[in-house]
Amino acid sequence: MPRYELTLILKAMQRPETVATLRRTVETLIERGAVVRGLENLGERALPYKISKHGIRHTRGGYFLLDFHSQSEILPAFLDHLKRDVDVVRPTVLSKETAAANTRCCVPQPEKPKDALPRRK
Amino acid sequence: MLAIRKFRFIHHFLCKNAARYNTTDRGVRGLYDRSAEISRSNDDMPISMENPYKEEPKGCILCNVTVDHKNVQLLSQFVSPHTGCIYGRHITGLCGRKQREVSKAIKKAHHMGFMSVTLKDPSFMKDPNICHIKHME
Repeated sequence: MPRYELTLILKAMQRPETVATLRRTVETLIERGAVVRGLENLGERALPYKISKHGIRHTRGGYFLLDFHSQSEILPAFLDHLKRDVDVVRPTVLSKETAAANTRCCVPQPEKPKDALPRRK
Repeated sequence: MLAIRKFRFIHHFLCKNAARYNTTDRGVRGLYDRSAEISRSNDDMPISMENPYKEEPKGCILCNVTVDHKNVQLLSQFVSPHTGCIYGRHITGLCGRKQREVSKAIKKAHHMGFMSVTLKDPSFMKDPNICHIKHME
């Protein structure tokens, strides 16, 4: 399973520019010793709220998901680098560890017998 | 009157000397009715079995559903369409674990730029109402 997931919101740009931005992001990541598993495009859509970044008020953006394995030490520096990139509106890195299989999900508690006296608070 | 008294005396006497006068475990009545032997077998006794009318243990609506911060449509069902505020447990009807997961996912989605904070996405307004809340039209 991918260890980290980067949700990248890029400025609404033409395709060649988007490609260039993604390319340099992935190259930066690989330079710092990460292994990129895959890149997903969630499409270009209207942002849920207007975001002001680098002097521009963005209304639309391209959403991308980047899965990668890496050391945890490089992440602060990498996020810093992304924040300085003019084309990136909002970068977020989340760890993607598989949660333990949730056994007994929502199993309701056994009902107390009706004869039981009510507890005094 | 006297007959009743006599009867009572005999009855009382038999009760006291149960062992001697061979009264059965059903008491003195065993001497009076002959049908004791017939109905002594256990055919009428209730058979022990699991409750056939037992209800299945019900879970909350998100029982086997993974909650993801990217799944904005699902998360929007637990959010007010007027203000965008997250509904409490008494409205959503979710169990503790799922309510916390949904709440955390919604806040994550807000921060990451997936979901709007002060309103519900208009395209999700027509979704079926899961929560126990009735909106004024």
